[in-house]
Amino acid sequence: MATPFGSMGVRDIQRGLAAKEFSAAEVARASFERIEAADGVVHSFLETTEALAADAAIRIDTAIAEGRLAEMGPLAGVPVGYKDNMNLTGTHTTCSSNMLRDYVSPYTATCVEHTLRAGALPIGKLNMDEFAFGSSTETSAFGPTRNPWDIERVPGGSSGGSAAAVAAGLVPVSLGSDTGGSIRQPGAFCGLVAVKPTYGVVSRYGVVAFGSSLDQVGPFARSVEDAALALNALAGRDELDCTSQPCDVDFTANLAEGVRGMKVGVVRAFMEAEGLTAEVKAKVEEAAAVLRDAGAEIVEVELPHAQAAMSAYYVLGPCEAFSNLARFDSVRYGYCDPGHKDLGSQYEASRAAGFGPEAKRRIMLGSYLLSAGVYDTYYYPAQQVRTLITQDYAAAYERCDVILTPVAPRTAFKFGEISDPTEMYLSDMFTISINIAGNGGMSVPVGLGAQTGLPVGVQLIAPPFRDANMFRAAAALEQHYGVAPVAPDFADGKVGA
Amino acid sequence: MTQHLSEADVRGIAEYARIGLSAEEVVTMTADLNAIIDSLKPITEFDLDGVEPTFHPIGDLSNVMRDDAVRGSFTQQVALENAPKQEDGSFLIPSILGEGGDR
Repeated sequence: MATPFGSMGVRDIQRGLAAKEFSAAEVARASFERIEAADGVVHSFLETTEALAADAAIRIDTAIAEGRLAEMGPLAGVPVGYKDNMNLTGTHTTCSSNMLRDYVSPYTATCVEHTLRAGALPIGKLNMDEFAFGSSTETSAFGPTRNPWDIERVPGGSSGGSAAAVAAGLVPVSLGSDTGGSIRQPGAFCGLVAVKPTYGVVSRYGVVAFGSSLDQVGPFARSVEDAALALNALAGRDELDCTSQPCDVDFTANLAEGVRGMKVGVVRAFMEAEGLTAEVKAKVEEAAAVLRDAGAEIVEVELPHAQAAMSAYYVLGPCEAFSNLARFDSVRYGYCDPGHKDLGSQYEASRAAGFGPEAKRRIMLGSYLLSAGVYDTYYYPAQQVRTLITQDYAAAYERCDVILTPVAPRTAFKFGEISDPTEMYLSDMFTISINIAGNGGMSVPVGLGAQTGLPVGVQLIAPPFRDANMFRAAAALEQHYGVAPVAPDFADGKVGA
Repeated sequence: MTQHLSEADVRGIAEYARIGLSAEEVVTMTADLNAIIDSLKPITEFDLDGVEPTFHPIGDLSNVMRDDAVRGSFTQQVALENAPKQEDGSFLIPSILGEGGDR
């Protein structure tokens, strides 16, 4: 392919396809060539799906030959990667766990299916923290993913592979899942637009469950428009996930509107939070000024119970994980430890060998928190705190259309730098309350931090099912900061096609 | 740090959660869990009298039933494809009551 592929967005690809500068088959090949050249270092993909991509490309190229490209959907000819907790028929879906090392999907998740129906070229499955338990992708049983901006550093997590693949220009769009920050935090660490839609916007059918009242699927991209196009493909009611809601919003519709007349809330307590680094704080303040200069009104809002979100999450998440991970029984699928004479010892040995340390911690914690006597001390109050947090947001949204906060308290950290689990959990201090309340939130890249020189993201948070609000504000930030670049060491010309 | 759990407690939880832990793992797990449970303290410090719990972020939903009609689903063969052990079209497990043995 003559045109550099790495920095191409959705519209660039579709323009080139329409002009017959290249074919969808060549686009797929370019993506695989870049993976071949770069992913030995980045380690974002666990499996690539050349045959599936070739089949999808043939459909697009046939449509182009017949003059039907416009009918092929919003992601026509666009390479897409999928977090490895998403089923795609015939691929391994491992959740980066030894428990599912050999599992082959007999069906396809609705979110994946929606991208395929929208014309996407499926490129492969992406690395993650084991069962999505983590904020660094270091807990993957198959080795960590490296941050393309600095390969000594983590890409964030748990959707670290999904973020790194887009940041390295291997694919322009990927999907991740977010239970407490697992899309937004790696999005910030890798300098991407990364969207956790409102709970209910995207079906979770076929996505291996972690925290069922918290999990939501969303896209990574380098531009706001690409993320909006991807979400257009993903959103909507699916009868196979009873929490999914009808959605006929075009998330690209108001990107050019600007923010004049919009009210943007800022949370003083978040800006003064312990652990928030000076460079991230400065960037959030700068982003607020950018939005103000673009015509938005900045208002102060309060989320008084947000400080409890962290502990509520580390009650609710493990409890739901404990329940969801009970399905790994070594009988129907998953790792089975050989040679046991009774089922009980087969269970214990299989789960001991199949789950990594963080998965075991969360399962054990959930088991404890749900036990008699303890339930009333933690689980029930956590659900009450959830009510208070939801009410906080509702009150805040009476005063603003969108809330602006940090995504993560700092930029990407080095491998092994954070080994204490409770310290690692602080990575999600600004993102977790959104999952607790169910709102939509997204990470928007705002350039590099003054101290570390690494990408910084700001978080925009929208009222439930008003995700279009945050896209509108994100587009205004992008007007100022520009579309996010591919990480410099992986820019066109340095790597692959 | 408060000692919420003893090593014996942790062994009991592991048994309930069906996770075999080595003696060494019990020691680290006990320390880790006690630290994590300590960090959950804020949840116990709110005045929550009269606050209704929210068990689910979308509150005002009612149950939806589809028509009771037969639809396509996995064949028996597909359902067994990922089974570690199978025999005669069924999942194969060792004895539940302890006797028998691995086949």
